[in-house]
Amino acid sequence: MAAQTRVDFGGILRPSGQLDSATALQPFRGALDERLAAHLLRRAGFGGTPDEIRRYASMSAGDAVESLVRFTSSSAAAQPTLFDRRPYMRELASLEGNEKKQLQNRLVHGDVLALEDLRLWWLNRMLTTQAPLQEKLTLFWHGHFTTYINFSSMMYGQNQLFRQYALGNVRALAHAVSKDPAMVLYLNNNSNVAKHPNENYARELMELFTLGVGHYTEDDVREAARAWTGLRFDRFTETVWFGEAQHDDGTKTFLGHTGNFTGDDVVDIIFDQPQCARFFANSLLSYFVYNDPEPELIDGVAALLRKHQFELAPVMSAIFRSNLFYGDRAYRALVKSPTEFVVGTYKALGLPQIETSAVAASKQMGQTLLQPPNVAGWPGGANWITSATMIARQNFAVRMVNSQTLAASSWLQQIPMQPAQAAHEILSAIVQQDAAPASRFQLEGVMAGSGTASLKSLSPENLQQRIGQAVALAMAMPAYQLN
Amino acid sequence: MKRGNFLLGTISGLTVSATANHVFARALAQTPLAGLPGSQGRCLVLINLGGGNDGLNCVVPHGDQRYYNLRPTLAISQSEVLAIDAHMGLNPKMSAFKSMYDKGNVAIVQGVGYPNPDYSHFRSTEIWQTAAPDRYEHTGWLGRYFDEAGLPPDNLFNGVAISQTVPEVLASNKTDIPAIPNSAGYGLAFDRSPELSQAFKQDARDASLPFKSPYLAHVMEIEDHAQRGSEELPKLIGGYKTDASYPATPLGRSLALAAQIVGSNLGTRVIYVEHASFDTHQNQRPGQDRMLMQFSDAISAFYQDLAAHGNDNRVLTMTFSEFGRRVAENASRGTDHGQASPLFLIGGGVKGGLYGDVPDLGSLDNGNLRWTTDFRSVYATVLERWLGRPASPVLGGAFPAIPVLA
Repeated sequence: MAAQTRVDFGGILRPSGQLDSATALQPFRGALDERLAAHLLRRAGFGGTPDEIRRYASMSAGDAVESLVRFTSSSAAAQPTLFDRRPYMRELASLEGNEKKQLQNRLVHGDVLALEDLRLWWLNRMLTTQAPLQEKLTLFWHGHFTTYINFSSMMYGQNQLFRQYALGNVRALAHAVSKDPAMVLYLNNNSNVAKHPNENYARELMELFTLGVGHYTEDDVREAARAWTGLRFDRFTETVWFGEAQHDDGTKTFLGHTGNFTGDDVVDIIFDQPQCARFFANSLLSYFVYNDPEPELIDGVAALLRKHQFELAPVMSAIFRSNLFYGDRAYRALVKSPTEFVVGTYKALGLPQIETSAVAASKQMGQTLLQPPNVAGWPGGANWITSATMIARQNFAVRMVNSQTLAASSWLQQIPMQPAQAAHEILSAIVQQDAAPASRFQLEGVMAGSGTASLKSLSPENLQQRIGQAVALAMAMPAYQLN
Repeated sequence: MKRGNFLLGTISGLTVSATANHVFARALAQTPLAGLPGSQGRCLVLINLGGGNDGLNCVVPHGDQRYYNLRPTLAISQSEVLAIDAHMGLNPKMSAFKSMYDKGNVAIVQGVGYPNPDYSHFRSTEIWQTAAPDRYEHTGWLGRYFDEAGLPPDNLFNGVAISQTVPEVLASNKTDIPAIPNSAGYGLAFDRSPELSQAFKQDARDASLPFKSPYLAHVMEIEDHAQRGSEELPKLIGGYKTDASYPATPLGRSLALAAQIVGSNLGTRVIYVEHASFDTHQNQRPGQDRMLMQFSDAISAFYQDLAAHGNDNRVLTMTFSEFGRRVAENASRGTDHGQASPLFLIGGGVKGGLYGDVPDLGSLDNGNLRWTTDFRSVYATVLERWLGRPASPVLGGAFPAIPVLA
């Protein structure tokens, strides 16, 4: 099939039709229904159980958003078990040759296992948290200030940092993450010394984290790298410190400013550029509303960011309350990431806990948490959907609807025994009725089998199988791939 | 539509339906590969050395003292280098590859780059993939080749990306290229009825679908291809047997699958493979050496496999990387982003040897090697002399070919 409407590459695709920019960011005055409530829960979290969706559908948009933005950070989640390398560092330094290699391998192995545990821990936190928007923004920042190092404790430290700043001040986060041990190691800012600057962090800070290509020059990269010289990493404490002796304290000229700048000055100069607010506005809109937002929309959100001095809570609140967010342009206008797909599936089925196998499933769908593919993070959009990842999604959905799952799902336990009603309920819970007649017809056909009037007449095994097929079918529907 | 006859089969367990009658399988049987000018069943294997392969420690100017001055700890000593001539040589970890070079099956094009180099991994990778250094293109150069080459439209395997995602180089306006990371996991764990597939396809065009999404058509198209492709691929490549011993690395596994696809005659014209990461800002030697050894060993096994099946003359392998690296090493025994680097063309159809200008370490641009061969000249060569298609419509201009192909 040659598609007439092939998507642009890089996942950038804007909904068609005109944007009403005058009212786009004005508060939405309509009532939430189950579809819009589910939409909000998917975007500001990882979806909802049928009960949660109904609860949010009874609220005004303002109250619903308020309850998501004004969260109290949940501390109830159990802490992950981390691997601590520090006790081995002295021994490692004293060893040589094969012995050293063996210990190094043990440490790497310890971290590999710990990172797997950490992924599962995080997925479960996403599922069970009372503050879904906090976890969603933690995931957003992870993809934004991308980092991957094979040190589980430092990746956890960074994860906590993103959680702490999730809805906080973006400028403060940029300062903090610049000195975060995982980031410093990942982009080599610990080996950026006066005599031989390492430009890696300086470049990515501007290109990918704050300004975007075209808003700085190669000279700015070199000068920013000089300003950042001096950060050091202590492997015995796994902390970052400032080594005065390695810092270049000469005069630098950066983005039109001249002075004896430090890395902190560089961040502040960047955040004073109008482009910086536009850059974050674009990222937030692309992640939470739709890809490739119009320039006037970017300007509108950038103005909000500047007005609130980069405090994120009021800006996210405005976005989630807006006409834009509840309009056709935004609805199902994003592709579900594998994390959203996996956690959302456990949510939709009303399951209490994510199983270990979900980590591998997410990898096959193209997303390994705490291990983004490169410093640009996951490209998202159309890139999530390839023949390989589509197969992984569908195989995951089929594996999910086994007998234990069905037994643990409170709403599937109480599914109506009349086939058409059962089909209707499944379509509500999984795709909020976002199915076209042909698919709906197929789903009803599955539930009815060869003309079953009531599902009561089926053996428990056959009933389970039939429900499982219907749920998997709903998860294979196009709407379920979209966010 | 037959109501109630939809089957997801048994929920667990694999049930494979044997429908050899799929349109693309038929199309395949009816389309002689030699029908295209200059094609003769040829395939291009493109290997992305992601992260920026340092050209100078890969193809080493061991005859140039300036190389040793600029890289006091990183340089590869003359005693280690696998010398090609008095001036150039290969990284010591590339011994298998050196043997292929010595047999005349490897062409090295030196100093490849493009005007106004961009030092961003992403922009530069994009430039190499879209072949558009001066503008943003939404299609890749091989995607445009697919769009205008007149390949059988029903063949789902005109091109294959051996990766989780489809790279930009294969993005096209009319042709969908499947991403197949490996053959083992490429299959649905359930059977799906034709009625269901039909219903899903109908959904995509159904105006009564209660939502609109810019991604709907894409999701539907890929879903359809994934289903059909995954049903057919195992059957189409299952008969291929090999004795080649590939290294147990991601690249080794990818090239083993590539050989299987080539040897099974699916009509595949382009296979894309990734080998990453060469992003060596610090402690470059062990990292890059390991990557190059993996490359060398996997390529060697690949061509042994191809040769054993008589396919080595119809597979041209080409490498690319977004940039080389800075000439001088940095304080972390690594290198920062640079400009020009060599690329390799490999295969029985190649006239082996060194092409292009030797890197001039005496004429640097802000510490970077200057490029001397435009990468689009290499692309033009591949398009015209290998794939048998005019290069201009794909590259948007004429670029002189390089006489690297026999």
